[in-house]
Amino acid sequence: MAQDILMILRKLNRAIAIMTGLGLLICAAFVLSDIVLRQFGASFGGTDEISGYAMAIAASWGMAFTLLELGHVRIDLLRSRAAVRGRVLFDLVSLVVLAVTISVIAYWCWPVLGTSIANESKANTVLETPLWWVQLPWFAGWIWFALMSWVTLVAALLMFVQGRFDAVESAIGAFAEQDAVL
Amino acid sequence: MITYVAVGLLALLSVSVPVGIVLFLLGFGIDVFFSPFPLIRGLGQLVWSSSNSATLIAIPFFVLLGEILVRSGVAGRTYAALDRWVSWLPGGLVHANIATATMFSATSGSSVATAATVATVAMPQAEKLGYDPKLFSGAIAAGGTLGIMIPPSINLIVYGFLTQTSIPQLFLAGLVPGIGLALAFVLATVIICSVRPSLGGERRVFPLAEMLGALKDLLPIIVLFTIIIGSIYKGWATPTEAAAVGVAGAFAIAGVFRGVSISMIAESLLGTMKITSMIMLVVIGASFLNFTLSSAGMGRELQSFLTGLGLSPLAFIVVIVLIYIVLGFFIETLSLMVVTIPIIVPLVVAQGYDPIWFGILMIVLIEMALITPPVGLNLYVVQGARKGGTLSEVMLGAFPYVVVMLLMVIALIAFPQIALFLPGFL
Repeated sequence: MAQDILMILRKLNRAIAIMTGLGLLICAAFVLSDIVLRQFGASFGGTDEISGYAMAIAASWGMAFTLLELGHVRIDLLRSRAAVRGRVLFDLVSLVVLAVTISVIAYWCWPVLGTSIANESKANTVLETPLWWVQLPWFAGWIWFALMSWVTLVAALLMFVQGRFDAVESAIGAFAEQDAVL
Repeated sequence: MITYVAVGLLALLSVSVPVGIVLFLLGFGIDVFFSPFPLIRGLGQLVWSSSNSATLIAIPFFVLLGEILVRSGVAGRTYAALDRWVSWLPGGLVHANIATATMFSATSGSSVATAATVATVAMPQAEKLGYDPKLFSGAIAAGGTLGIMIPPSINLIVYGFLTQTSIPQLFLAGLVPGIGLALAFVLATVIICSVRPSLGGERRVFPLAEMLGALKDLLPIIVLFTIIIGSIYKGWATPTEAAAVGVAGAFAIAGVFRGVSISMIAESLLGTMKITSMIMLVVIGASFLNFTLSSAGMGRELQSFLTGLGLSPLAFIVVIVLIYIVLGFFIETLSLMVVTIPIIVPLVVAQGYDPIWFGILMIVLIEMALITPPVGLNLYVVQGARKGGTLSEVMLGAFPYVVVMLLMVIALIAFPQIALFLPGFL
């Protein structure tokens, strides 16, 4: 069952990653058309600002995807020397640490959004973007990352108590260098 | 505090906690133990402001550009074309590895991606033509490292972002040392293969017509490099915007070779998101650690520590180089960079060194870290692309190029102009 959950999460996050990637593509097209416009003395104005928002949102929503694809870099100098049971322990400990840390981060991201909503803050730019428009999806991305890391941890623990160490390792192990390349 | 950071860093990294998370944890620790006021209140704002950055969006764009080129078959054509031009040198096809890596470096911002690209197209040739695998694969691993030196470079963008130095100037500064390293690699290969011909392979001379005919296959890469770098220095686009131009160019090239499809775009986007988020977690963590370190007065502490050592600026830089070489054996390269920049760069600048020059010096050291065992990502990448053999063959083969890089480090320290004359000139 744990494995099914992980499969579903992986599929879901792949879909999210493709959508976020498409968002970045649209942003690239926007930047490009601005460069062309500038040659003719015109400009949309604010492409920098929008790129920044796109980056913040894309980064926060890609985090969980990267977690499930074992993409976050870890140094496995000691880990790789252990037997499978030991390696899995390394993986579980580091996932617990990650889940707690990300939860702390997500918790402290709330005041940023909360203040923007309470003060109806606008960006100090030409566009005067109401900040909560962009901070809400950004904040949601970190919440999603925290949530995903806890669910993954629970699934991995389930498999661990069933003694399926190989399954745990393939779910939360250190990244395989060859896969991480492209 | 210095001891705390150093010990904490090594301890947490060695138990394989993700690097980005380690940086956050160290920041929390500094907040709790060394800061008179609660720094964690600034955490959310820092996470927001360090990722809300129009500069950093260049990272996904350059990654995507590389993904598109690999998946559209441009890499294979480039390799075949360069083979026609350089395989007459002693060492044969080994030079094609270096030349292809150099060309791809000029469109790719990542060393690992460059090494992977070249390894994929070169390895089948090595087996077919019966090359000794050591030098052949070592040259790919070493040539690939040029990806972060020859502009565009993701690592230089991150360096510029964290140290507030000009990214176009960093790009210019990397150009001469990058090309210099490539030529030095070629020279080293010629020397090795003249002394021990068995390490290289058959020298092949192609008819002139075939050489000229191959030139058109080099066009895509040359055009792409020209529009990316040209648009920056013409003042049409910032480095970030130039990355968007590069993505469009890569799509156009892939379109010409009929390499564009829905599944190709989806796979490219997935790869891009994975690498981008991996980099961003580390960068955001480093920004937070940066902030806590400076708020807690790390600068002053380090300053007095160094004054206490009483080193001359030269002795100081030698110590820094040695630190990087040792750390480079064990730590993955982007992490190595991001972890050390907040601590080391202010010190180096305080000694009167130019931050742009140091950026380039750091890149050479990082390149070296990519091909020195036990943790050398490019070695693993090249080994991953081989059908058999052992990792130690790749390590041995890469060793001569490590020596070349060391010489480059010495040259950069002795003649800073190697890096600085081009940015100063333009």
